[in-house]
Order: sequence, then C-alpha cells, then structure tokens
Amino acid sequence: MSAVSMEALTKVYATGAKALDALDLQVAHGEFAVLVGPSGCGKTTALRMVAGLEDITSGVLRLEDRVVNGVSPRQRDVAMIFQNYALYPHLTVARNIGFSLENKKIPRAERDERVRAAASVLGLADLLGRKPGQLSGGQRQRVAMGRAIVREPAVFLMDEPLSNLDAKLRVQMRGEILRVHRRVGATTLYVTHDQTEAMTMGDRVAVLRSGRLEQYGTPRELYDRPASLFVASFIGSPAMNLYEAALEAAADQCVVVLGSQRLTLAPAGAERGGLGAYRGRKVIVGIRPEHLAAPGIEGAKPGIEGAAPGIEAAAGASLTVDVRLVEPLGSAQLVHFTIDAPEVREDPAEDTEQLAEGEIMDTPVANGIAVTGPRTPARAGSRITFGVDPGQLHFFDPDTREAIDTGR
Amino acid sequence: MTASTLASPGDTAAGPPESRRQRRKRERLQEQAAAIPVHLYGLRRGTVTLITVACVLFAIFTLVPVAWIIINSTKSQTGIFSSFAFWFSRPFDFFHNFALLFQNVDGNGTYFQWFGNTVLYAALGGGGATALAGFAGYGFARFRFRGSKAYFYVIVGALLVPVAAITLPLYLVYAKAHLINSIWGMILPSLVSPVGVYLMRTYVDLSVPRELIDAARIDGAGEARIFFRVALPLMVPGLMTVLLLSVVAVWNNYFLPLIIFTKNSLYPLTVGIGVWSQVAERSGGNSDLYPLVVMGGLVTIVPMIALFLVLQRYWRGGMLLGSIAN
Ligand SMILES: Nc1ncnc2c1ncn2[C@@H]1O[C@H](COP(=O)(O)OP(=O)(O)O)[C@@H](O)[C@H]1O
Ligand SMILES: [Mg+2]
Repeated sequence: MSAVSMEALTKVYATGAKALDALDLQVAHGEFAVLVGPSGCGKTTALRMVAGLEDITSGVLRLEDRVVNGVSPRQRDVAMIFQNYALYPHLTVARNIGFSLENKKIPRAERDERVRAAASVLGLADLLGRKPGQLSGGQRQRVAMGRAIVREPAVFLMDEPLSNLDAKLRVQMRGEILRVHRRVGATTLYVTHDQTEAMTMGDRVAVLRSGRLEQYGTPRELYDRPASLFVASFIGSPAMNLYEAALEAAADQCVVVLGSQRLTLAPAGAERGGLGAYRGRKVIVGIRPEHLAAPGIEGAKPGIEGAAPGIEAAAGASLTVDVRLVEPLGSAQLVHFTIDAPEVREDPAEDTEQLAEGEIMDTPVANGIAVTGPRTPARAGSRITFGVDPGQLHFFDPDTREAIDTGR
Repeated sequence: MTASTLASPGDTAAGPPESRRQRRKRERLQEQAAAIPVHLYGLRRGTVTLITVACVLFAIFTLVPVAWIIINSTKSQTGIFSSFAFWFSRPFDFFHNFALLFQNVDGNGTYFQWFGNTVLYAALGGGGATALAGFAGYGFARFRFRGSKAYFYVIVGALLVPVAAITLPLYLVYAKAHLINSIWGMILPSLVSPVGVYLMRTYVDLSVPRELIDAARIDGAGEARIFFRVALPLMVPGLMTVLLLSVVAVWNNYFLPLIIFTKNSLYPLTVGIGVWSQVAERSGGNSDLYPLVVMGGLVTIVPMIALFLVLQRYWRGGMLLGSIAN
C-alpha cells in the first residue's frame, strides 16, 4: 500500500492543453519523492491534483487506499507549500502557522502549544509576533513550512519551495527541509525543476517531460542507468555529452565510430545486453563529463609542474579532443572541448552555443565538457586525450531515443 | 547546524516600532523618491509652464462654486443680492445662518430632519451597496459558475444605462409595490452598484492572489471563512473606494427621492433644499430662506469631505507585503 498512488492520472485544461498524460506514480510511506522536469512539464499540475485544487480529467488518485478524485482539499489531510509561500499577509507568524488549527476548532491552549513547537523546530520562536512583510525570504520560507508541519498531515506537498531563495540559502534550506522530513517522517512529494535538488534530496526521483513520466527511480538509478536520452541529458551536471556514432560490426569485437575516432569495446562487452543487435547501425553514445579521465596532453613535456603523467589510454579507449575553454572551479576544472562528431541535443533550452553566423558545418563538430582535476594542464587551443572506460558509456537508440540495455 | 543559526544570514530585523508621525513622514518621503523629478520628463521648459497654467485654470474653474458658497454663507439675505458675489460683505452672518439652519424655520420638518434622512439613506444604501459589491466582485473574480461570464457582461452593460433613464419605469413599479413614500424605495435601488461590482472584481483580481485562497483551502478553511478571514482584509482599500463612491451617489441623489417622496418628513437634503429654493424664488428675492439655502448647501458637502479624509488612510500600498514572493 502506498501513501500516494497515481494511476494514469491525466489533466486536460479548459484551454485544451494536456498538462499531464497518464502519469503513474507511487509514493511509499515516509518516502521523500521528487518530481523533477523542465518548466511547463506538468509538475505543479500534478501536485495541485494531489492537493485537490485541480479537477482530475481521468485516472485514479489514491491516498492510502482511498480513492480521492472527488474529495475536497480539507478532507484529504495533505499540506502544501507553495512556490511563492502564499502567507496570509495580515496575520502574524503565529496566526499564519495556527490558521489550520483554528479551522479545525482546536482549543486555544493546544493550538498555542503546537504552534510554538512547530516554530521552535524551524527556529521561528522569536518571530511569532511579526507579520510576513517584516520577514526575510528564508524566514518566510520557514513560516510556510511551519504552516505545513503544525498540522501533522499524512502527506506534504512542496512546489519548488526554494526557487525564490538565493543560491546559498537554497543549499541551507535543502538540508533543513530534509532534517524536518526525517524528524516528522511524513510522506513528501517535492517538486523542482532543479536536478541537483532532485538528486540530493529525493529517496526516489520521477523525471517528467511534457506531462509524461520518463523514469522513476533512486537518484543512483537515474544517474547510472538513465532510461532515455532525455533523462540522460537532464540528470547530471554538467550534462552528459551525447554524440551520434556508428557501431561497427567486427568479428570478435565491437567498435564505436565517433567521427574520425574509434572506441573499441572490450570483447566481452560486445555482446552486452541488447547492444549486439545494433551492430552496423547508428547509435547515440553518451559519456558523462566526469568519466572522461586523466588525460595525456599531446606534446606535453613531462616534468612540467603539476602536469599529470601522460597516461596512455588503453588502445581503442581514448578520445582526443580540441580544448576551447577551461573554467577553473577551484576543486575541479571544467574543460570545454570540440570533437568531430555529430552532436545530439535533447534539451532545446540548453542550446547555448550556436554555430557562429556563416560557419559551414561540412565536417560535423560537437561540443563537449569534461570535469578534470584542478591541476590538469589543459589550455585553450591545445589538443588533449581522455581515457574512456567503455563500461561507463551509455547507448541510446537514435529513433526511439530510449536507452539500449547494456546489461549493467 | 541548528535552525536558529541558519536564521541569521540575510535576515533583516525590524527596528524599534515607529510612531504614526514617523511612519507618515517615511511614506511621504518614499513616495517623493519614487516619483520622477519633472526636469527628467524630457519636456521643454515652455511645455511644462503651459501644462501648469492649464491645470491652474482648470482648478480655479472647479473651485469657483465652492468659493461662492463659502463666501455667500456669511451673508444676510440682502447681502447675497446687493454685494459683489465673490467677496464678503457686512453683516457677517455666518454663525447666525448656521444656527438658524437647525431651527424649525419653515414650520414643517426642517433641515435637521432632512439631514438625518440623508445620513440614513446614505449609510444603508452606500454601506449595503459596498457589501454587495464586495461579495459579487469576489465571486466574479474567483469563482467560475454557470453563466458567470454572461452575468458579468450584464453588469458591465448596466454601467452604460443612465440612472435617470430607469427612474420613470422604477416609479411605475414602485406605485404597484407600495414603495412610494417608503424609505425602502430609496434604499433598494441604491444597493445596486454596477460600478462597485466592476471595481471590486478588478480589485480582487489584482490584490487577492489565487494561491492565498488555495492555501486557505488546504488549511481546511470553508469558503465563507476564506472570504471573511483571508480575502476581506486584502479587499479593504477597494471596498473603501466603493464605499466612498456609493455613499456620495446616494448623498447627492436628487431625482429618485424627488419622485418617490411626497412627504416633507422623508426628504433627503437634496430635495429639501430644492424645495426651500423654490419657495424662496417664488417670494421674488426677499425671502429669508435664501441664506439658509446657501448655508444648507455648504453644510451638505462638509460630511462628504470629511468622509474622504477619513477613508484616505486606507489607500496606502503594501497590503500584500510579504505574502507572495516576488
Ligand atoms: N490553469 C491553466 N490553464 C491552462 N493551462 C495551464 C494551466 N495551468 C498550467 N497550464 C499548462 O499546463 C502545462 C503544465 O503547467 P505546470 O503544471 O504549471 O508546469 P510546471 O509546474 O512543471 O512548470 C503548461 O503547458 C501550462 O501552460
Ligand atoms: Mg510549476
């Protein structure tokens, strides 16, 4: 039995917009489930349907075992935190937090007690007499949380609760929400467009795209075995490098032809899972930036301070690229490069670097990013060779855009 | 790390509470700072002067009747007719006229009675119109129900019908409904304020966020409670505007009470002063009623000015402060 269960949940707005298309999702008791996806993919719609603020066009919604399709919000025992907090501006913090208890006609003494308890969990004890207008963003966020936890609801719904905070506070509040979640232990459905938030917070993460569920699994599963090109490019930062490639049929081994380069998969890997069926065909190959490792610099003189000794990548498992830009992050380095292979873009919003005007694409050139150690001596304009572990490669069908099972 | 240590960065503490005077001053300065200085408008100097002169002329034009009524309220009957209309003359009869106004000078109901009637009609009619406009505006702004659009267009259409055009049909209906010489005949039509409904719908749309209503629903509040506890406090500035408009409308209404009231004791100020004025005219310019007509007019407008000044404090910004992020 799940705490929240959506079965083929569909929403078509009066405008005809299909915001949610047959969403199937189960959230277990006490679980922290995250709904993640780009803006406009239907996250808020799904949450509002669970809350009872939006009609369900078709499908079944269950809370515990009870079908609640037609049940009003106040009979669902859910609390919701809105993206913009939606605090009652004319009421004090204490009245804001206690409003739901007032509605339930809970006696004054008990109400005050519970409000004070919730406030102290959130560090709001000194602010109970203030109005929302006298609070900072982080404090308002906490009041919104207080309003939810004071009710001890069966399910928490949170709609991008951190998106209005600055970056530093966002990281702090991330920890704080998890702390409160562990303490209260209630089932939580958390919505965000930020994959970092999803990966760091969720017990399980559902990736949504245009109202459809792409994949639902633990952060590890999404990262290690993305089910589709969309999940692969959406989860992980920086995003996975994706290129069109051909799988060459050879007698005893499998070779990935990437532009002018060839990556030989270990013979054992040649028949892995469903990949064998793609021999002689086009595939999309994905390499995470953090899996492009320990480069040897072409023409680098050994002995230069900090230079990594040029590790010779195993024959057939290295990738030579042209470095365009190096961004030092302190603890690591982002190496932006180009490679002579056709590029695949999944997310149009990520289309940051377009070809310059007039540039002709006679030879396909794709961009890519690698994450390297902080002292790797990569320079813009140089050529660099990364070692590639064939086991870390992801393969996708270019037509269905779904992952090809490699038996991992 | 505890929550209280997290609470400090970026949090602004509200300083010591300000006094009313300090707050007024701060708000005035903030308003001034928010406005763009005239020399940055990008207008030529001559243009600014021209616009200023035009505004001053218009202000004088508007204020002439007010000046006239103030000046002439200080004059005796002969003073009104024999002295220059826009300057004072002896004897200074202001207090004499004022005192006389509230005595039974014509022997049949008086200014005092009419004043009370007007206050009653304005309070019930204007207050009721405001309440109805609040309910209806909220309903139209935040609920979709069968025919809600059509009803709203009917109300917008009613905005275009001049009140005078429906007064005669109203009279005929009243005659059948026994509302002639009844205060309800005055109050019922005053309760309907298409402008008020229209204004309140727009105001609710702008000032009562949907999320706030949703939040209250999730918090388990019923619809009535949501209206009174969550929406209404945010609607106050809009309601005060509607209150002022509808009270002034009833206060100044002349045509409707003129046709439905035949008893002197039911007259509001507008009709009563009109009657005095007619009596005075019939006497051919030597009636003692002239100074009372003028003074009566002056006293009639004072409560409306006072009402405006009282309600003014509700038209301050910042009602939603802190509710909705960004
Ligand atoms: N009230 C509405 N009426 C019509 N279309 C809507 C409404 N709310 C959302 N939509 C549409 O439904 C889709 C999903 O919206 P939403 O759930 O808000 O996405 P998200 O929260 O993931 O950004 C969007 O295309 C949006 O335009
Ligand atoms: Mg949203």
